[in-house]
Amino acid sequence: MPVNTSYRDQENIFSFWPRHNETILKRLESKDAWLSTRRGIEISRVKDALEHEMTLNIGPQHPATHGVLRCMVKLDGERIEKCVLDIGYLHRGIEKLAESKTYQEFMPYTDRMDYLAPYANNVAWCMAVEKLANIEVPERAQWIRMIMCELARISSHLLWLGVGLMDAGAVSVFLWTFQGREDLYNIFDEVSGARFTVSHSRIGGLATDLSAKAIDMIRDFATRYEEIIRGWQKLLNRNRIWIDRNRDVGTVSADEAIALGLTGPNLRGSGVPYDIRTFEPYLKYDEVDFIIPLREEGDCLARYHIRVEEMLESIKIIHQCLDRLPDGPIRADDAKKAYPSKNEVYYSMEGMIHDFMYTETGVAPPKGAVAYHAIESPKGELGFYLESDGTGCPWRARINAPSFTNLQGLESMMEGHPVADIVVLIGSIDPVMGEADK
Amino acid sequence: MSESLNFHFTPVDEARPDEENVHAKASTDVTDVIKAIQEQFPGAVTEVVVYAGEHTVFIAGEVFLQVCTALKEELGFTYLVDLAGVDRFREDAPRYEVYYCFVNLKAGKRLRIKVRVEEDDAVLPSITGLFKAADWNERECFDMLGIRFEGHPDLRRMYMPEDFAYHPQRKEFPLLGIPGSLPLPPRTPEGELTMDPFAAAHSGSPAKSYEEPAEHDED
Repeated sequence: MPVNTSYRDQENIFSFWPRHNETILKRLESKDAWLSTRRGIEISRVKDALEHEMTLNIGPQHPATHGVLRCMVKLDGERIEKCVLDIGYLHRGIEKLAESKTYQEFMPYTDRMDYLAPYANNVAWCMAVEKLANIEVPERAQWIRMIMCELARISSHLLWLGVGLMDAGAVSVFLWTFQGREDLYNIFDEVSGARFTVSHSRIGGLATDLSAKAIDMIRDFATRYEEIIRGWQKLLNRNRIWIDRNRDVGTVSADEAIALGLTGPNLRGSGVPYDIRTFEPYLKYDEVDFIIPLREEGDCLARYHIRVEEMLESIKIIHQCLDRLPDGPIRADDAKKAYPSKNEVYYSMEGMIHDFMYTETGVAPPKGAVAYHAIESPKGELGFYLESDGTGCPWRARINAPSFTNLQGLESMMEGHPVADIVVLIGSIDPVMGEADK
Repeated sequence: MSESLNFHFTPVDEARPDEENVHAKASTDVTDVIKAIQEQFPGAVTEVVVYAGEHTVFIAGEVFLQVCTALKEELGFTYLVDLAGVDRFREDAPRYEVYYCFVNLKAGKRLRIKVRVEEDDAVLPSITGLFKAADWNERECFDMLGIRFEGHPDLRRMYMPEDFAYHPQRKEFPLLGIPGSLPLPPRTPEGELTMDPFAAAHSGSPAKSYEEPAEHDED
């Protein structure tokens, strides 16, 4: 393999990737600000006599960028004229990694994508594989998955709320929402044995059943937090500072949101009722009663309302799931399609062989099978597109990550706003770089 | 022995389109749309593959852009959900294919379109003019597989730095990367750039992140 030595000749040894920065700057100069030109906001082409123009690099290491997001902005005074986002600082190539892992082996990697709601990712991956291999999941497992997905949604939205408010200057809410996340971590701990990266869902079902204690904890959480979230609404919905920071910031109309491909609460904040839970109902979402919060303003305030209302709807769903949770197995009873139970593995020869075979090769969907399955993750449509070549590893695993799609929209949304709105805008889009960078 | 032993688990069953899938959704049944495309562009649809209740519509590369325009303007598929490339590698030429996932928000339909791309001439027309959302996805596809999109306003790499010379999601690209292709910062203040982060895997010795203390002579 040829070794690239051109960097060694550089004067400054730290100037790795010199061309990368050049191209970003070049792009910033040549760019046509799409949203601004649509709205008739003119970008000054005249010579900058007063030297108001400045090119500023924000991130990748900046506390308000929610990870490693790099924004190159061209400023005219305090207004952003153009913006180029640079992502990839957390790129681990998990699509490539998936191609050399068995389907079950890859599941822990999904925890590290949207690390604020790992359970939703686990479920998304497992459901995509189940569709590809045509595996039926027992009822009880589906209801439990739904509960945990909604808890993951609350967990993700709690972080967004706390951090978003901290970006806007209010630190106390951050401490309260993190208390909420702490309670959720305890639930995940009780359910799966891990607080953060749960990896609890299995292809064909779940790793373990909910304990009685876990059910009590979830019910207690759902009961308590309905009141608490309503309290936060009382604090924020009519809060002068919060409204002033958010209203008419990053406004996107419904058509623009569709064109930009926004997804999740960002799309619904612009008045497009696209939610996978009702668009293509998966699990048991067609059997529970809930509404999809919708706003038409399309600004940061609308997105705030949507997410907070979504948390309340999630609590409603969790209550219904707990009431209707049926008895029964939690994993498909087919050794070719799901792991056998630990009882079988420890006390029968066949069980042990099946366990070994499942770890070694796992589920092998037929050759030429392709499937796309999406769920409504807290950030939006999280879809996995899988292609099988008949072996135990996917031939191609494509991740349609909502944060990636939303960040693309953010690049256009930022243009025309003051610098101070950047932090609010990034917060309101709610990107997670682990997912966007894959 | 002429026959080599193959320990890979290769099931005999092929994907069957008629198999009932428990996860199949009503939204992915797009027979009407396929018929509409076939009527408007005879010969455009080269193949339709059905699996798990999903139609994969293969479109000929020459009329692809016209089909996309019709999809957006006449058939209501205004929302581009996903776009990505696939390396077919072991199959017959053409080597690559790009898949597009469109959604019709009003009718509640999801459509998957695939276009095949030759290896020697991996160029496709860009659909960024029609769907703004294709911008980053096309960049990602270019970055990962090296498929160029003609008419894309900004075909830079998405994830990898511009200085990177390879397309990592091609099947021939090694999983551990190519040493020297992506220099990383030095491990120590005076050190060299880290050329191979997986030196141990390439039978070298990994760079140390600390200075070795000078050896003392015992006298």
